Amino acid sequence: MTAIETNNLTKSYGSRRGVVDVSLKVEPGEIFGFLGPNGAGKSTTIRMLMGFLKATSGTCNLLGKDCWTDSHVIKQDVGYVAGDVRLYPWLTAAKAFRIIGDIRGSDISKRGMELAERFKLEPDLAVRKMSRGNRQKVALVLALAHDPKLVVLDEPTSGLDPLMQDTLAECLREMAIAGNTVFFSSHTLSEVEVLCDRIAIVRDGAIVVDDRIQNLKSVAPRSVTLTFESEAAASEVTWPDFVRFKRQYRNECFLEIDGPATAVTQWANAQAVVDISISPPSLEALFRGYYDTQPTAKETV
Amino acid sequence: MRGLLRKIFYEVRGPVLLFSIGLAAIMGLLTALLPKVLGDLDKMFDSIPFIKPILTAMLGVDPGDGFTAQMMQAFLWVHPTVLSLIWAHELMYCSRVPAAEVDRGTVDFLLGLPVSRWKLYVAETVGWIVTGLVVLTTGFVGHTIASRWLQPDMLPGAYKTFCVMANLFAVYLAVGAITFLVSANSNRRGRAIGAVFGLLLFSFLLNFLAQFWDPAKSIAFLSVMEYYKPALIIESGDFPVRNVGILLGIAMTAWIAGGIVFRRRSICTV
Repeated sequence: MTAIETNNLTKSYGSRRGVVDVSLKVEPGEIFGFLGPNGAGKSTTIRMLMGFLKATSGTCNLLGKDCWTDSHVIKQDVGYVAGDVRLYPWLTAAKAFRIIGDIRGSDISKRGMELAERFKLEPDLAVRKMSRGNRQKVALVLALAHDPKLVVLDEPTSGLDPLMQDTLAECLREMAIAGNTVFFSSHTLSEVEVLCDRIAIVRDGAIVVDDRIQNLKSVAPRSVTLTFESEAAASEVTWPDFVRFKRQYRNECFLEIDGPATAVTQWANAQAVVDISISPPSLEALFRGYYDTQPTAKETV
Repeated sequence: MRGLLRKIFYEVRGPVLLFSIGLAAIMGLLTALLPKVLGDLDKMFDSIPFIKPILTAMLGVDPGDGFTAQMMQAFLWVHPTVLSLIWAHELMYCSRVPAAEVDRGTVDFLLGLPVSRWKLYVAETVGWIVTGLVVLTTGFVGHTIASRWLQPDMLPGAYKTFCVMANLFAVYLAVGAITFLVSANSNRRGRAIGAVFGLLLFSFLLNFLAQFWDPAKSIAFLSVMEYYKPALIIESGDFPVRNVGILLGIAMTAWIAGGIVFRRRSICTV
């Protein structure tokens, strides 16, 4: 059974189209990254998956059931963290375990307390007294405490310090190893790169790429920084075809290349270059390219 | 359902306690003071002439015409402070889901739980009815305590008081159900409360104008106050079957419509 499956999922707001023909398939055990800039349609897609928004057209299933009509049944096996976490000011983690345990019909206190300890969360502290990061931790603990088959996270690391981000990544990897699925929305490229098996990039409401991280890395460009003897020398360079000049700052030039770095190092030897820095294939550069330039379905509608 | 009721309890216990204490205090005070304030109605009407149509509109009968000491107790049940407290409680309560939840952004958390929207709506309804009974009963307790200092012949008796309270509770249900319906259509609690408050104000004005303006009289049936006449109940001693029936009909229709809208609508905090 597929964990998430959408076919031509579209959400329109009057004449404005929020999400256009989104088709996704996420298999059990996958950590799936859902990337896109602000306002790209990530949260709208997630809200349709969670049954908050009714799709204008297309289909949308979680764990083999319809996201709209069977929403409450699906959520028995789903954990969810919203993009902008807002919780009741009076809520404490301990109270939440009791309330949600009653609603779910199972005692989640034991697992909840384990997770609270792991995330260094005070179970009896009210949300109104918590920092943003701690509120985020409460939401994460509550989303994971019932050991869901699928967890849908909308920018879950916002507000978390790097150590807690690592703890979250560890929890999510453990879930995936146990055969559960993680749907991880973010606009932070680096965290998706280290965590996810597969990603989709959404821009202006449409999917512009959907592939495994390894496949994307194989076509990702490298960033090259050349430091010249002087600003004048940097300005007078004629760039060969195999590099893409991005910008110049004083005597430094920033470039991108595809494939191996041999050609650019040989070429640089013959120039007035005093230093050269070449990064490994960078998904970030690839993602930025998708964010900036690709035409989308929405633009062509 | 238990988890949802527990959540409602945590959220509303403070306000309900305050409204209950407030209503008990006000009703106690009014019970004790009204006979003194309204002791000489004719003199009061002479000195403040515009007060009579207002009281007539509120009570549904002319207070200068065969008005008994018992009927004077009807003022208690239509007093603007009493109605304002009861309605303030229910406007706040019934606009919680979904309007207030969307407004403060907590609806994502709530709807992320494995509970159908109908179940959520029913749980809110249970809380609304229970808290309404708590508030009204506490108000009644305040009235009962203060009644001990009144002469027995000034009190309308248990059955008449029960009939008035039943009628008032039917008004509570009708206004609350309309608030649920408006809330189900709204993303802003303030807007939902404002809309229902506007309806209640319209209701009051219509009821007032209908006393002396025929066009208003012809549409007075649109006012919820048209179906709440404590003075007539105390005068006749009859249970207001028709009025309670109409109010319950309004309540049921608005409640079902609110549930359907809530079940079907897209909900988004952005």
